[in-house]
Amino acid sequence: MKEVMKIGGKLAAICAIAAIALGVVNAITEPIILAARAEKLRLALSELSAGLEIGEFIKTDNESSIIGYYPLSSGEKTEAYIINIIGDGYAGDLNLLTAISNGGEVLSVVLMEDTETPGLGKEAENASYMEKFIGTGNGSIIPSSKSHLNAKDADSITGASITFIGIGKALNEAAGFVSQLGGM
Amino acid sequence: MLKEFTKGLIKENPVFIIVLGLCPALGVSTKVINSLGMGAGVIFVLLGSNIFVSLLKNFIPEKVRIPAYIVIIASFVTIVEMVMEAFLPALYDSLGVFVPLIVVNCIILGRAEAFANKNTVKASILDALGMGLGFTLALVIIALVREVFGLGTITLFPMGSFNGVIEIPGLIDSPVRVFGLAAGALLVMGLLKALFTWIEDIRRVKQ
Amino acid sequence: MSYIGIIITFVFINNFILTQFLGLCPFIGVSKNVESAVGMGFAVTFVMALASISSWVIYHYVLVPLDIVFLQTISFILVIAALVQFVELVIQKISPALYKALGIFLPLITTNCAVLGIALINVRNDYNALESFIAGIAAGLGFLLAILLMSTIRVKLDTEWVPKPFRGIPIAFITGGLMALAFMAFDNALLKNLLG
Repeated sequence: MKEVMKIGGKLAAICAIAAIALGVVNAITEPIILAARAEKLRLALSELSAGLEIGEFIKTDNESSIIGYYPLSSGEKTEAYIINIIGDGYAGDLNLLTAISNGGEVLSVVLMEDTETPGLGKEAENASYMEKFIGTGNGSIIPSSKSHLNAKDADSITGASITFIGIGKALNEAAGFVSQLGGM
Repeated sequence: MLKEFTKGLIKENPVFIIVLGLCPALGVSTKVINSLGMGAGVIFVLLGSNIFVSLLKNFIPEKVRIPAYIVIIASFVTIVEMVMEAFLPALYDSLGVFVPLIVVNCIILGRAEAFANKNTVKASILDALGMGLGFTLALVIIALVREVFGLGTITLFPMGSFNGVIEIPGLIDSPVRVFGLAAGALLVMGLLKALFTWIEDIRRVKQ
Repeated sequence: MSYIGIIITFVFINNFILTQFLGLCPFIGVSKNVESAVGMGFAVTFVMALASISSWVIYHYVLVPLDIVFLQTISFILVIAALVQFVELVIQKISPALYKALGIFLPLITTNCAVLGIALINVRNDYNALESFIAGIAAGLGFLLAILLMSTIRVKLDTEWVPKPFRGIPIAFITGGLMALAFMAFDNALLKNLLG
């Protein structure tokens, strides 16, 4: 019995020391991690807002893929919205922030989080990937299938067409949501 | 003494010869920089666990040695996880779940059990460095093949005016994308393992 | 996501071995004959289901209330190690026959990436208790499916001529690669089309 206590005690001592050491490291790194996350969101929002004033985040309460939105205004007038929407990627969800004008034009898109395959869908993390969506909508089609693209752009998404379609569909939905908001 | 260091690089290379630590080797080897980051994480954990296991070899009771080793290893892994998330968030994101999974990398527990608990601290450090570098070397080789063919680039650290990405002319415009996929990883690993076996055979025949 | 969605996702779309590289060591190491592959597959499924549910309990009732989520990795791996020991003891007592079939695989499971992997992935996906449990079983079945297919192919390969440097492990990797290529047919779009 004494032997068991001794062994257990030693193991407990190792665990306790490990837990304390980790607590110390965590106390140092946690504020840095939180600050970096807030900074990432702030940077994305300031890029998306293009100088317009960002309003309060409004959560949508329904079960749709739209999580919520920020109104963008200049002066009193709401000019556009930043929509936070979840699209379907190849391997899982794509968390997108997109600025859409009242007229339904896609102004900019940022991919915040994804679980895509590196080298394929992951390419969507590059800012240039989103160029083919920008300026579409408001009369023209927001591309959500390969046939909407010119040959060069269609080539560039080869191997990542599911990611592309996922983003395209999400943007279409976001644009539809903005037109509803405008009607209110 | 030096042989404790060099054995891990080629002769007992953990990935190509002993075939251990495969999940991270294939999971993160899409880009060279991911391999380097993973390698650095594994070297740190391996060093830490080898040093502590070797130091505590008379303190840790024989019966509970495996749980004790696991606690030591998991602590170092968690430190890597927290430090990487704080200071290298982009790398942390691209390595994803493979960072905490360093815990179950058989190489680390294997070295604690097979080497560090019977050897001096100094030998254990050399062993850890050798095995860690051997692991990193293997990951970089796999990543080089996969990234050059699959993306047409070689991604390293950004330094000064150099953005860290070397583009391979010809492949950048029409890469063989399958190399970047899960399937490509397994195919590349099979081909490299065959290459190593072939070289080994030739060497044996010569002797 | 619906429960059926989770099952399809973890068995086919995100098959642990063929798309996530989790559990590769036993996939290559224990797939030389069908019998041991099936034994390993069931043992892993069993432990993964238990690990999913117990790591969920630890996470939501210990780590989160005490605000020590940073101890997640260390506590999950200890839970898994203890669980494997416990399962080994129970099986040994209850069914010696089952112990004889699964026994040698159990110690290997602690260091199987797939088991710790499912515990961590459940947390990352914010699954509730039942979803975690189902994900654990489904991921285990995905593992079983992949290792069963692999062992069947390897048994056939034994009677075929293979170039000398490729014999054994290299050809197993290449076989796995071709299987992974086939599994690419399963993706999120397929899931959406199936479930609407």
